[in-house]
Amino acid sequence: MHAWRSATAVGLRAAFLAAVLTAAFAGSGRADDVQAKLGYCKDCHGPSAQGYRGYMPIPRLAGQQPQYLENQLRAFIEHRRTNNIMFNVAHALKPGMVAALAESFRKLNPPPIGGAPLGLIAAGKNIFENGVPDANVAACAACHGPEATGSGEIPRLAGQLYPYVIKELTGWGHERGQIPARADTSAIMSPVAHSLTKPQIEAVAAFVSELR
Amino acid sequence: MTIVSQRRIACYASLFTLVFALVLASPVRAQNANADAVPQKEVAAKLAYCEVCHGVSAQGFNGYYPIPRLAGQQIAYIENELQGFVEHKRTNNIMFNVGHVLSPAMIRALATDFHDLNPKPLGGAPKDMASAGEKIFQQGLPDAGVPPCASCHGAEAKGNDQFPRLAGQLYPYLVSQLTNWASERGETNSNVMAPIAHNLTPPQVKAVAAYLSYLE
Repeated sequence: MHAWRSATAVGLRAAFLAAVLTAAFAGSGRADDVQAKLGYCKDCHGPSAQGYRGYMPIPRLAGQQPQYLENQLRAFIEHRRTNNIMFNVAHALKPGMVAALAESFRKLNPPPIGGAPLGLIAAGKNIFENGVPDANVAACAACHGPEATGSGEIPRLAGQLYPYVIKELTGWGHERGQIPARADTSAIMSPVAHSLTKPQIEAVAAFVSELR
Repeated sequence: MTIVSQRRIACYASLFTLVFALVLASPVRAQNANADAVPQKEVAAKLAYCEVCHGVSAQGFNGYYPIPRLAGQQIAYIENELQGFVEHKRTNNIMFNVGHVLSPAMIRALATDFHDLNPKPLGGAPKDMASAGEKIFQQGLPDAGVPPCASCHGAEAKGNDQFPRLAGQLYPYLVSQLTNWASERGETNSNVMAPIAHNLTPPQVKAVAAYLSYLE
């Protein structure tokens, strides 16, 4: 009886410890887990999350608005934004990990990788600051801020990859907002992306890609 | 005179009358703000463009800047503000660019459409200040030279003609407007607000803004 009681006690103590540890580590990312996951993100997104021109342009995450990152990861998981690779990445992330990663990315500040045609920048600046009123294109600065740093759920564009911005604006409706019944904030950009011409997209993309 | 030339005179006379009538009836000559003069498709496209920044149903949007609610706004107020932006009496580069391509007819059509929208307020302001704000709104601050807001903006803050609706306006927008009144708005008809905005203390501004932001 004595042996049985202590076995139970040990068992209970172990179970209690396991529960406490699970609770402690489920709510927040353990520091080394976050670092490991961050390293994994950087495999594609670049050593300082500055982005990478791979087979597909992989976007800069450095300095990104945490709320925007979290919204996008959720959109990937729910297939509102279609990208098979990011679906696989995102759906394995615990909520505490998402917040920790977003905060880590926010603090990074590498210079832009550049590479856009510099001759387009002046035209891009004009569109960014003034919009194209005759074509019903709102000034990007109105929501993204005068230096394209974004705010809250509105993404930072400063230093974003030139080919990535072009790809996003050109194919907006094909990748984002894929579940019309569950419209999300990506709907705001639909009329803008739709109204911009190809040269205008390239100009704006060149301009933001050089911003620090 | 021969019969032929009499006919010719009659022909010229009727032609002249026709042209004269057409010129008088021309909408270009009238330069009016008749909302029906703009094709509905154009108005709808322009409205969608406004809503990119001003929010779904023009409820407003908390972006990098707080972008104000236009839903339910007084038509005369919208028209005056757009004119102010275009004439640089109210300083805002983005709204200058928006405004200066709009015809009077388009402005009237847009303002009418905005006036008819009625989404719920965006909310989000600190609620604990709202009752202090209500008191200032209804009674003013006689010792500080602040008249009751309700006396011009209406008991329900719905506005009247050139006095804007404030009900449901965004909290951060109201705060920034009242705080920076003189630096954005110059000598327009809104200069009646300058001393009032100046006399309100920051906590009073926040209280009134919080109260108004929840009104439907």
